[in-house]
Amino acid sequence: MPGRQLIMSFPVTATSHSLAEYRARGGYQALEKALKTMQPAGIIKEITASGLQGRGGAAFSMGRKWQVIVYDDGQPHYLIANADEGEPGTFKDRWILENNPHVLLESMLIASYALNVRNCFVYIRGEFDLPYRRLAAAVEEAYAAGYFGERILGTDFSCDIVVYRGAGAYVAGEASGLIASLEGKKSYPRNRPPRLTVKGLYQRPTVVNNVESLSNIAWIIAHGAAAYKEVGTPKSPGTRLFSVSGHVNKPGVYEVELGYPWMKFLDEDCGGIVGGKPIKCVVPGGVSSKVLTGAEIKELVLSHEALWDAGSTLGSGGMIVIAEGTCMVTLSQILMRFYHHESCGQCTPCRHGTGWLHRIMDRIVAGNGRPEDIERLYYISKFNDGTTICGLGDAAGYAMSGILDKFRDEFEYYIEHKRSRYDGNLECLKSS
Amino acid sequence: MPEIFLNGQAVQAREDQTVLQVALENGVFVPYFCWHPHLSTAGNCRMCLVEVEGRGLDIACNMPVSAGMKVFTDSDDVKAHRKAILQFITLNHPVDCGICDKAGECTLQDYHYAYNGEPSLSVDAKVRSTKYYNLSNRILLDNERCILCLRCTRFTHEISKSMALGIERRGDVSNIRPVEDRPLGEDPYSDNIVDLCPVGALQSRQFLYKSRVWYLKATPSVCPGCERGCTIQVWHRKPEWFVKSLDQRQNTSIARITPLENPAVNGPWICNKGRDLARIFERVRADQPMLKGRPVPVAEAIDAARRLIGAARHPVALVSNWGSNEELDSFKRHLGEVFVHAHVKTDWQPEEGERLEDDLLIRPDKNPNTAKARELFDMGEPNYHDGTDLVLVWGEGYDFSRIPPQAKIIFLNSYLAPENGHADVFLPLSIQTERAGHYTNFQGVVSKFEPCFPKGEAVLDAEALFKALEAPPRGHT
Repeated sequence: MPGRQLIMSFPVTATSHSLAEYRARGGYQALEKALKTMQPAGIIKEITASGLQGRGGAAFSMGRKWQVIVYDDGQPHYLIANADEGEPGTFKDRWILENNPHVLLESMLIASYALNVRNCFVYIRGEFDLPYRRLAAAVEEAYAAGYFGERILGTDFSCDIVVYRGAGAYVAGEASGLIASLEGKKSYPRNRPPRLTVKGLYQRPTVVNNVESLSNIAWIIAHGAAAYKEVGTPKSPGTRLFSVSGHVNKPGVYEVELGYPWMKFLDEDCGGIVGGKPIKCVVPGGVSSKVLTGAEIKELVLSHEALWDAGSTLGSGGMIVIAEGTCMVTLSQILMRFYHHESCGQCTPCRHGTGWLHRIMDRIVAGNGRPEDIERLYYISKFNDGTTICGLGDAAGYAMSGILDKFRDEFEYYIEHKRSRYDGNLECLKSS
Repeated sequence: MPEIFLNGQAVQAREDQTVLQVALENGVFVPYFCWHPHLSTAGNCRMCLVEVEGRGLDIACNMPVSAGMKVFTDSDDVKAHRKAILQFITLNHPVDCGICDKAGECTLQDYHYAYNGEPSLSVDAKVRSTKYYNLSNRILLDNERCILCLRCTRFTHEISKSMALGIERRGDVSNIRPVEDRPLGEDPYSDNIVDLCPVGALQSRQFLYKSRVWYLKATPSVCPGCERGCTIQVWHRKPEWFVKSLDQRQNTSIARITPLENPAVNGPWICNKGRDLARIFERVRADQPMLKGRPVPVAEAIDAARRLIGAARHPVALVSNWGSNEELDSFKRHLGEVFVHAHVKTDWQPEEGERLEDDLLIRPDKNPNTAKARELFDMGEPNYHDGTDLVLVWGEGYDFSRIPPQAKIIFLNSYLAPENGHADVFLPLSIQTERAGHYTNFQGVVSKFEPCFPKGEAVLDAEALFKALEAPPRGHT
């Protein structure tokens, strides 16, 4: 076990996602505690004190996001759980939705109570089938048990929840794009200002939080902020769910206490690299974070500040481990195809930039690369960065320039010799 | 009043303004495609990126002013980014300016020369899309030229409310498309999107390949389509570019009509009827004075009219509500004493299927100057009686069978009509595009129109004609 476990703290069985078993694990006691013994302001204070950071990618302080909401400003407020998990390599929220949906619902109830929310939403990725069915069943159970609806647990607090299925757009995972989609529009992200906590869903103050971020709340309320701060490092408290994929022997979702040594995690928990090969590079948190080479991660621990110092980010926790012998040019081509396909097309730099990146990568992989292409890829990445409405335009640029910075020689080799140094290999076979 | 610094210059701003508005108001031009003063902010073209000290680059159109902010609109970083944005925009743009109607008045063209000026950095094939996509029987769409600024979709959602346009697919294959069941053809304001389009993606079928815009000049005018009296620009060929061979009618016909922005009346919009004025003005003209259908010289016809007026005991006049303020005044001044019974006649009735009224521009009275005519003359049908011996009909749209058979008729009209030959005296008049004048709209706002074309030799201006009719006939002493 990589450190203490807060969310994945129980053995998964065929029925462990049910309300009965969740209650048996102490579920919905935090809700009772919050509703009966705490004031909304006290809950926000507790969350702020815990130092909980958003788990969707930006790692922004949750407490500070919540503090923007004015409790009694006479407007309806909305809370949305962002379960549109679309970042390549990321599938951690899926684990929560499948195996512990009630922790999300309980946490959302506590958050709704704290933020004066009458209606909350879960925007779930349309491709998620089992997670949707499990979540929908959990919502029904919770309604039947009186955790949702009017006068919850005999208090004055009432709350309803809507589970909304997305239609398969990566940009809908961006908070304002999600809101547009939830409103029934094309999921075009919105310009800030105004911020979503001022004008969000239906032009009302809205908090959009990642599923994993929200799921921590029940634990924090049950055990207190002080106990939460003891987990993890001072600057990044708590645990994170990492969805590990790529060339490791035991890929899957792991809950890691922040501050845990990276290599130890990969070697012991993930069973090491396939075939015992050396690590070429690791995508730390979804492909939109910059890659780190095997040498760079050797001494690193898994915490936000350590990754920021190394020039990358823990992002969404989608860790892709890439072993030596993988062709980074082919990998980049696949990434650029993804960004091109998923660009919403609203703003100019991303609409044309992602397509341009993709076409150049296609050409290089087809053996028609030109020496100036590398400079061109840098040019597009540079001018995509910071000029777009949402972060997804930046992300394509980060991913491209991150790989280029570290594996430029591979691109040069491919362009010069019109073939991959590694035969375009993406697989990692034990025999080879 | 927060004070902000534009390129080091302190300027006053209002709290509700954006940096772009402040910059434009203070004469600092920041280029933009998608922003439009009368539409919501989309912020998708990213052309108006400016640098704010301490905050980096952001778009000016969505940046609220805050006191003391230091904005730079032409720093090296801003220039480099503008250049890059134009590289992105032209990446899949066909650059077919040679055959594009917008060339010469195209924002993209202007910005390219002003802020980029370099050939494309791309060596890859452009994304292809549909050309000549049929949006309605008035508008064609070229998706390759489209830069997806979404001005047109915002117009149909926010101004005309027809909700006729939307976006299909995503990324660089996004296309503007009509929404099912909401045809753009039923939107009476649809042609405004052609003007709004900053590039040549939306093309008016009327103007398609008709003329290069630099051969044309715009004359300010007023739309006579309804009592709103929207100010318009009539585009016609510049005299120095008159064609000498081919069809010379090109020199004296309306090439297109666009709105002339006027906050007091129509804002920046006009309706489609205003674009179709050629349908009204370019009907076959009457160009010959006649006595009972017999062509005569102008002087003879005027003389005959004077004689009829001088001899009449109970004359009645029907005054046109298409006459300009000057003409109506002239009639009152010179003929008001003779024609005590002068009634306003409605020249133009709504056509079948025409929208009568809405809350944007269109008004139920389809004549331009009813307000002024009502001020000077009586409304309603005149009371004919057995003694009525002369009826002067000014303008079209009057059923001659209502006139008592014993009455003589003086008819003043601009267009060829069967009634012309039935009148005892017929005098051809000039039309709005051949003279200057003013109309008063239903709100009392007076707007001016100017002549675009010369009038025919025997065609008369009503203002001068009424003065001439006042004088006693020749040889009457």
